[in-house]
Amino acid sequence: MSDAAQRANSKARLRARLKVRKYAVAASSALRERTAYRGSFLGSAIAYGLFVFVFSRIWASAYSDRTDIDGYGHVQMVWYFIVAELSSFAFSGSFWSLARDMKSGDVAYLVSRPYSFVFYSYAQGMGRAVANCMVLLLEGAVLGLLTVGPPPAVSPGQAFGVLVAMVLAGSVYFLLNLALAMTSFWVEENAAFYWIFQKLALIVGTLIPIELLPAKAQIVAWWTPFPSMSYVPARLFSAWPGDAGAGELLAYQAAWVAFSALLCHCVYALGRDKLTVNGG
Amino acid sequence: MNQAAPADRDERVARNRASDTSNGGGVSIFDCPAHVKHAHRGKRGSEMSAISVHNLSKSFRAKVRAEGLGASLKALARPSYRVIDAVKDVSFEVEAGEVVAFLGPNGAGKSTTIKMLTGILRPSSGAVSVLGLDPSKQRSELARQIGAVFGQRSQLWYHLPPSDSFRLLGAVYEIEPKVLERRKGELIERFDIGPYMDVPVRKLSLGERIRCEIAASLLHEPRMLFLDEPTIGLDLVVRREVRALLAEIARCDGTTVFITSHDVGDIERICKRAIIINHGQVVVDESMKVLRHRSLSRKYIGVKYASSVNLEFGDIKPVKSTDTAASYVVDTNEHRLEEVLRALVGRGELEDLTVEDEGLEDIIARIYCTQRVRA
Repeated sequence: MSDAAQRANSKARLRARLKVRKYAVAASSALRERTAYRGSFLGSAIAYGLFVFVFSRIWASAYSDRTDIDGYGHVQMVWYFIVAELSSFAFSGSFWSLARDMKSGDVAYLVSRPYSFVFYSYAQGMGRAVANCMVLLLEGAVLGLLTVGPPPAVSPGQAFGVLVAMVLAGSVYFLLNLALAMTSFWVEENAAFYWIFQKLALIVGTLIPIELLPAKAQIVAWWTPFPSMSYVPARLFSAWPGDAGAGELLAYQAAWVAFSALLCHCVYALGRDKLTVNGG
Repeated sequence: MNQAAPADRDERVARNRASDTSNGGGVSIFDCPAHVKHAHRGKRGSEMSAISVHNLSKSFRAKVRAEGLGASLKALARPSYRVIDAVKDVSFEVEAGEVVAFLGPNGAGKSTTIKMLTGILRPSSGAVSVLGLDPSKQRSELARQIGAVFGQRSQLWYHLPPSDSFRLLGAVYEIEPKVLERRKGELIERFDIGPYMDVPVRKLSLGERIRCEIAASLLHEPRMLFLDEPTIGLDLVVRREVRALLAEIARCDGTTVFITSHDVGDIERICKRAIIINHGQVVVDESMKVLRHRSLSRKYIGVKYASSVNLEFGDIKPVKSTDTAASYVVDTNEHRLEEVLRALVGRGELEDLTVEDEGLEDIIARIYCTQRVRA
């Protein structure tokens, strides 16, 4: 390869690196901003702790006369709940800040920068979520150990699978939150959409595993994104379904990540023209 | 006057580029830093229009609702809307290197226009070209070439120090790390923000924050800077410092500056041309020199007598008076100044007499009011 070609090649590589770097820096900035105030975790930490404690008592009562419910033992069920709720608490909530930016018109300032608005928002959302996860994971681990003892043993490979599942779960959560927030381009008051989304997410896979739903509801549930948001990481952590089963669940999540990203891009492309800004 | 004639524009640009101090010496507060002189002078070479706006309009649809429960229920079933013409048929050109004030009362359409110029809003009709690009279609390309400071909206992260926001903005504009470090160093030195770079933005004073905001907006070396109320809320000293910095950017970098402000001091110190917009339309587009000449036909005369005298004569009435003193506003197109002064001197034993031109703030306010009456 000639010198000129090598230089062109290395320039192209640098440009590609710089294009990706902006999203990495956005994520790390969001992580640092989120951790700037220890007090900002207080609300979610208290609510999460309360939920875990109450449900650990409920499950203790449910398991008082049995050792197994649909394949889950008492310890597995409590750890399932800890991980499923962790996902719910750490990744949800971005809707409110995004919807506020959309309604106030502040989003207009964000979209006029040289980046993909969807990916940039995603990077920031995931950066904040990492900070939430670290705090709640620590709290959940302490509460789990105190209420039911250590979780089921997890091999390094399985731990990696759980980690991947958490990232994919967070991605679906964030992208769907963003798509819902972007309905502000058309609808003035869109909190009702989020309320329905949040309640369905809670019922389908967060409060109880999918296996505990009626058979017909399970079939419907698998056609929705909700199992990919809390159920999959919680299931992989508390009751590893075998490598093949885990692979299927991760593929299911990945498909929903792709769908959610596509949905966001379509909603954004359609909504961009609707953008109006207060003032003038 | 909706659009300046090309000959006027050429003359204006030539005047702007000359290094004289014809606008009251405002732009010659500092010498250009040595590195800036060498690095950016070349940008002034371009003769193309930096901004070209033709028949630009923007309408919003706003929901209207009458009073009362019945009207609210009716609005639920069949909402009604009113079309608001925020900007109507606006045309103007800005040459590369010009420093232009874009003025108007609240709700005149300034911010809407600036948002269309920066690609934030899509025009309802008309054509816009900024640095040869269509802002609504080539937003991303344009974003790399312009900087924007919106006084009421920060681009710095509230809980993080400015250095973190600079790092993020550098990444967003895909500036190579080495180049970013050099550029950051230049801006820190120029804006004297070194001591604040490691302090969370929430702990900075408004003046310190605005300095960091402007520096951040220049990180990617934009060819054009849009400023929307950059000195809003600042105290006198900080306002003066910010104006000096903006004047320096315009003068030394050759950056085209487009500024909206309600602060006449900003306009006097920084700008060489003013476009005044009201009710969504351009009502004045002329150089600051010409705008100031409007004041020559209006004189503010103050008199103080040793004893009480009759302060009214002919159709000239004082705008403010006591028994022994009065202030007059005299239109020299209607009354000869010499005759008015002679009449005032002859009315009694004079202790003091002052004659002043109309201030720029009054001129602009008069333009706003005149247009309001016409509308």
